[in-house]
Amino acid sequence: MSDAWKLFDPNAPSPVRDNQDLLNRRHFFGKTATGIGGAALASLLGRDGFSADIPPRRTGLPGVPHRDAKAKRVIYLFQNGGPTHVDLFDYKPQLSKLHGQKLPAGYVEGKRFSTMTGKADGKLVLNNIEPFRQYGQSGAWVSDLMPHTGAIADDLCFLKGMHTDAVNHAPAISFMLSGAQIPGRPTMGAWLTYGLGIEGDNLPGFVAMTSISKGTSCGQIFYDFYWGSGFLPSRYQGAKFRGTGSPVLYLENPDGMSPKMRRNMLDDLAELNQLKYDQAGDPEISTRISQYEMAYRMQTSVPDLTDLSDEPQHVLDMYGPDVKEQGTFAYNCLMSRRLIERGVRFVQCMHAGWDQHNSLTTELYNQCRDTDQASAALVKDLKMRGLLEDTIVIWGGEFGRTPFIQGDINNRPRWGRDHHPYAFTSWVAGGGFKPGMSFGSSDDLGVNVVEDPVHVHDFQATLLHQLGIDHEKLTYRFQGRRFRLTDVHGHVVNEILA
Amino acid sequence: MQTAEPMRIALITSAFFSLSCAQALLAKEIDFESDIQPIFLEHCYDCHGPKKQKSGLRLDLRTSAFRGGEEGTVIVAGKSGESALIAHVSAAPEDEKRMPPREHSKDGLTGDQIKALTKWIDSGASWPDEFAGQDERLSHWAWQPVTEKETLLPENFTANPVDFFVRRKLEQAGLTMSPEADRRTLIRRLSFDLHGLPPTPKEVESFVNDPDPLAYEKLVDRLLESPHYGERFARHWLDIAHYADTHGFERDKRRDSAWRYRDYVISVFNQDKPYDQFLREQIAGDVLSPDDSEAVVATGFLAAGPWDFVGQVETKSPLLRRSARALDLDDMATQVMTATMAMTVNCARCHDHKLDPISQEEYYQLWSVFAGVKREERVISEAALKEYESQKETLMEERDRLDFEIGRREGKGFDLADIVGGGNGLGTGKFRRGIDVRSAAVQEREFGRLGNVKVNQFKPSKFAFIDGVVIPDGQDGKAEIPVSSTGMTVTGLPSTSGEAWDMIRNGPVASQHSNELSGIDFTKGGHSLIGLHANAGITFDLEAIRKASGIEEMRFMTLAGYFGKEGAMQADVFVLLDGKKVVELRGLKRADGAEAVDLFLPASARFLTLLSLDGGNGIGHDQVGFGDARLKPERPARLTPKEQALLTQLRSKKSSMEEKIAELGDPPRVYAVVPEEELPEIRLLRRGDTESPIGAPLPPGAFAMLEALDPNLGSLETGQGERRVALANWITDSENPLTSRVLVNRLWHWLFGQGIVNTPSDFGLGGDRPSHPELLDWLAGEFAKREWSIKSMQRLLLTSETYRQDSRFSGESSGVAVDAGNRLLWRQNPSRIEAEAIRDAVLTVSGKLNRKRGGPGFETFDYKEAYAPIYTYETADEPALWRRSIYRYLVRTTPDRFMTTLDCPDPANLTPTRMTTTTALQSLALYNNEFMLLQARYFADRVEKEVGSDPEKQVTRCFALAFGREPSPEEVAVAREFLKAEGLFLFCRSLFNANEFVYVD
Repeated sequence: MSDAWKLFDPNAPSPVRDNQDLLNRRHFFGKTATGIGGAALASLLGRDGFSADIPPRRTGLPGVPHRDAKAKRVIYLFQNGGPTHVDLFDYKPQLSKLHGQKLPAGYVEGKRFSTMTGKADGKLVLNNIEPFRQYGQSGAWVSDLMPHTGAIADDLCFLKGMHTDAVNHAPAISFMLSGAQIPGRPTMGAWLTYGLGIEGDNLPGFVAMTSISKGTSCGQIFYDFYWGSGFLPSRYQGAKFRGTGSPVLYLENPDGMSPKMRRNMLDDLAELNQLKYDQAGDPEISTRISQYEMAYRMQTSVPDLTDLSDEPQHVLDMYGPDVKEQGTFAYNCLMSRRLIERGVRFVQCMHAGWDQHNSLTTELYNQCRDTDQASAALVKDLKMRGLLEDTIVIWGGEFGRTPFIQGDINNRPRWGRDHHPYAFTSWVAGGGFKPGMSFGSSDDLGVNVVEDPVHVHDFQATLLHQLGIDHEKLTYRFQGRRFRLTDVHGHVVNEILA
Repeated sequence: MQTAEPMRIALITSAFFSLSCAQALLAKEIDFESDIQPIFLEHCYDCHGPKKQKSGLRLDLRTSAFRGGEEGTVIVAGKSGESALIAHVSAAPEDEKRMPPREHSKDGLTGDQIKALTKWIDSGASWPDEFAGQDERLSHWAWQPVTEKETLLPENFTANPVDFFVRRKLEQAGLTMSPEADRRTLIRRLSFDLHGLPPTPKEVESFVNDPDPLAYEKLVDRLLESPHYGERFARHWLDIAHYADTHGFERDKRRDSAWRYRDYVISVFNQDKPYDQFLREQIAGDVLSPDDSEAVVATGFLAAGPWDFVGQVETKSPLLRRSARALDLDDMATQVMTATMAMTVNCARCHDHKLDPISQEEYYQLWSVFAGVKREERVISEAALKEYESQKETLMEERDRLDFEIGRREGKGFDLADIVGGGNGLGTGKFRRGIDVRSAAVQEREFGRLGNVKVNQFKPSKFAFIDGVVIPDGQDGKAEIPVSSTGMTVTGLPSTSGEAWDMIRNGPVASQHSNELSGIDFTKGGHSLIGLHANAGITFDLEAIRKASGIEEMRFMTLAGYFGKEGAMQADVFVLLDGKKVVELRGLKRADGAEAVDLFLPASARFLTLLSLDGGNGIGHDQVGFGDARLKPERPARLTPKEQALLTQLRSKKSSMEEKIAELGDPPRVYAVVPEEELPEIRLLRRGDTESPIGAPLPPGAFAMLEALDPNLGSLETGQGERRVALANWITDSENPLTSRVLVNRLWHWLFGQGIVNTPSDFGLGGDRPSHPELLDWLAGEFAKREWSIKSMQRLLLTSETYRQDSRFSGESSGVAVDAGNRLLWRQNPSRIEAEAIRDAVLTVSGKLNRKRGGPGFETFDYKEAYAPIYTYETADEPALWRRSIYRYLVRTTPDRFMTTLDCPDPANLTPTRMTTTTALQSLALYNNEFMLLQARYFADRVEKEVGSDPEKQVTRCFALAFGREPSPEEVAVAREFLKAEGLFLFCRSLFNANEFVYVD
């Protein structure tokens, strides 16, 4: 017999192999399970990880994780717009000394900034908007704009040497989340659910939520590709939980349809499908039956997820006054905790409004008010519940902001800063990252990284590492080559790992 | 290719010889075979040989060795001092660049070895032909010529050869084909495969009962001749072209004329245009037949993918532009080569292809083919456009005249926004057309902050009803601001920044925050808006309007307001009558809502002026608007019966004129490609970095791995059009073995659910190997014989026994054990229908499918113009939106979630194969999506109307429509019980969710 059709490297993930797996597994059952009751088969397929098409794979890829995982899940508090590092976390006393003076030579020559700035030569230095102070054992410097974050500084690992390749929002966000500036590549959450599978029964493995500060003037759009699965199967894309009404699209039964009717209909449908299954013997039918069951379980579990009546008042208070208002950042933070408690692997909370081109003295305050307390509360809450150990919380945006001014130095109400990819700060907590640490530094004005730079791809490699994944090995074959989250770059930053 | 190398070396060598004879004598001691190759073999090939090419360097092949790697050339014949090879091998052991690296060889090369290499290079690096090395990759099956397979067939073979080849493989594996599927299954399979639609119960019945032994063949022919066939196969091709109707990226703007390319592809399949012609037109139709509209539209193929507006147009950074353009060229080159020849050329952008024999240089030579074109909306042909415009103009003039006559008699008054848009005040103006506040010139495109602004200068307009425009600056009340062409002025206005933004528009201004104020959207449902961003003023000529309309006394009514963002932003608004302030709204904010203005205009009033000033805090967000601004007659007109009759006549004339205009449709433009003004030079980019071009400019070229074809496509002097023609000819050359193989494989893939090669867009070394190589070659040969007729090939495949097999099987079938993946085709593959087919099937079964073909796509979203346009999906519940899914307006950044959930792919990527997933979100979508619910309701209504209220009849009819079959007695029993408990609607909804509904077979 010819072997010509047995062609696949069993360890190479690819659409071809996925399909092959699915067929082989399906036919394995098609052969051996004939005679077992359909319901038993459905449950077999649904639970033992054999079916490649129980979405997403419960067990992940063979051989993944590649190593002991320090963390199981991620909450990414993504701050869209580019939070101003020199006003929040990267304290530069030199800014106040040079305030209003021309940027000294040697900082920005030959660098590119956004369309608005063009050339940065000759721009004026702008002091930090509010003073900084030191916090905790670690003595981390944090702006007075972020008192709650300051208070948990000993739990955080500040990365002050972050830098990126992109200068505009959408490409930079895409770069941070998918490793590529152009849309259409799988995002981090998709890679993770693809590689690791999910934990829970009732919810998708990757959830995205969005919020925006009230009264902010820079309307930024949340594109679907920020949580897309790119060329990975669509089952790995982030499920967008909505800010108003029912959080999951199509979750609610239409008016006039009781849960009982739904149940009846489901049973009826199962029966029809079952009749068909008995005749055709195709286990794909069972997969679909089980997905209808899963949909039903989602319908019953999501109301429980969003019912905050079981949260004690002191916990609600910790997250701040907006916590009960759906669609706010505080609500999303609390929801993140509730989601990971229910087995969700990757939660992506995106908050827009950090793009202060001319509103540092106004809107920056709103942004901090809306995010500071809830972000800190989430870390504290996870810690109290023992979840912080194996959950990574990330706080950061797509780039920083220029230490020099955009606007008129004499017109304080309109002070602003432009996009700045050359140095910015993010923080990470939990999941085996060193707490109370500050890693890397920018120069005395916060323009360029001078020590321990962490490029976006390094950051991604390190995150995957903590989740037990070798970033060079989690690949997917598409268009002739193996793609990965870190493209062809990235080094694990061991210095920040506990 | 391989003969070129020694030539170059010889030249360098001879130059060198003339320099130094002594050294040449010395070189005699060095022999490549005995002195050099053994060093390479022992120390270099592990990392720079056939298996690995670290840093892109390969030393076992002469051509690659001299080409060098990522860091450039490593051997410069005659100059060891400039040869990186010597620098590497002679570096200190602790130096990172020392080769071989310390971990492989502690001591590295011996001094003698280094000397030998140095001498060898200095003496001209002679590398004899017999050691040039064979690139074993060139023997890969896919690059070999298509060989004649006819001889494999038994003598006098009359049956379908497809079955012969499939059976041969099956027999080798000890398998047999499954029996033919029943007729009901066959017609359902054929309908979905060829039309993407379910068969009607009547079609099923007549086929099942057709006594003709050729009933199946007749059915195949009928389905191939239907226009739905092209709609189905165009979808497959558009996946490969990653077609959509917007740009994608951050500013995801519309491409309102892209649909013509989509219609072209549909028509190509329907008319069975020869495939080679189809390819040539798509790559170079504008050059090959510039006067043939179809051929020009075909080049929409090159422009089908995403395009970065910010990077290509908006940014001022030349660096960003270069990088955006690089993405653009990569997209074009990759799309063309993967679609036509399944070559993954994109892998050679940063280094030589890691698997296939494609060099980085060849990749950039392909760029050189496309470097002369850019994506743009263009006219299909000048003649077509002229013809269209003159027709349209005549019709519009007539319509305007009628409009005016009607308006006069109806006394509805004049819409000032329409006048701003160049109209007569009765609806003939163009929405969003603007008047330049600096010059009164008419402008169509969008502007931001204006340059060359001069305040307080009145500029007369050429429109009869507009006197002119001005940029006002009150200069603390002191300025005398001219507001009419007769020299009227106004004083006492506040100071402004003296800046201006965009145009005065019929509609919102550029980047307007919102079109809504006080709950009214002024761009919808009979409302209108004059966008008057501060600082701007416009004066209307009341006398001219009076003269044209015959109306004496009028009223001016409007809802004025601040359309910018809420917050501290504010503006001052004034209305003047003959230079006198009659309305003054100072410090107007969004929170104030729309302010109603109602002014009496006596017969003596000559000029009406609207002014918006920035309120002294800069012009940011000062989007002042005048909603529903109208001049109305003070007294309604009284009509005599005769005039009344005339009015009725005018109205009917007008509506027929409007129909004619609608029939004319959009101007004959298409989103395709146009030549760059200058043909740019392309150089190889080191590591794909646009800032690191190296080497000489590259002429256009194709790939040397196909030995039968000349890869040379021209010189640096060759024009951009000729470059594309040359590539198109190279791709469709009868000696090109890939083009025909790739297409017949796609045809196979589309009908059997998997290809003979299961990676339809990668025939390289990293791709799949053919399961039936002889069959693939036989089909490719047959395709050429049949003059590239796709329909003819499909007829061949569809009438095979292989295609007609049953997909069902028992667990005992030996195929399960031997070939579970069914690559040998011992049965047909069942498959879930794609997102588009699900939606179309739902509409067919509910009886609501609108079969209108072609034209602009239907939009199931609300579109909002903004810096980054906003698309908000709404439920499609009207006949115009019940068209087939191929006619959807496809938005790249904001896909329809319902379709995405059903695995509709992201048009950012090329999609050779659709994925099928089964998820809970899919179940929820099919269950609860509003479109599904409404259609289930129509389905139930339809069944009730057709068979009445008898439950048994209802069940039978439902099954016939949804599944094309009769229900079994058990099914009837289950269904009756359910109907009794929950009713017909829920039953219909269940059927849409049944497995059988979304599966073929």
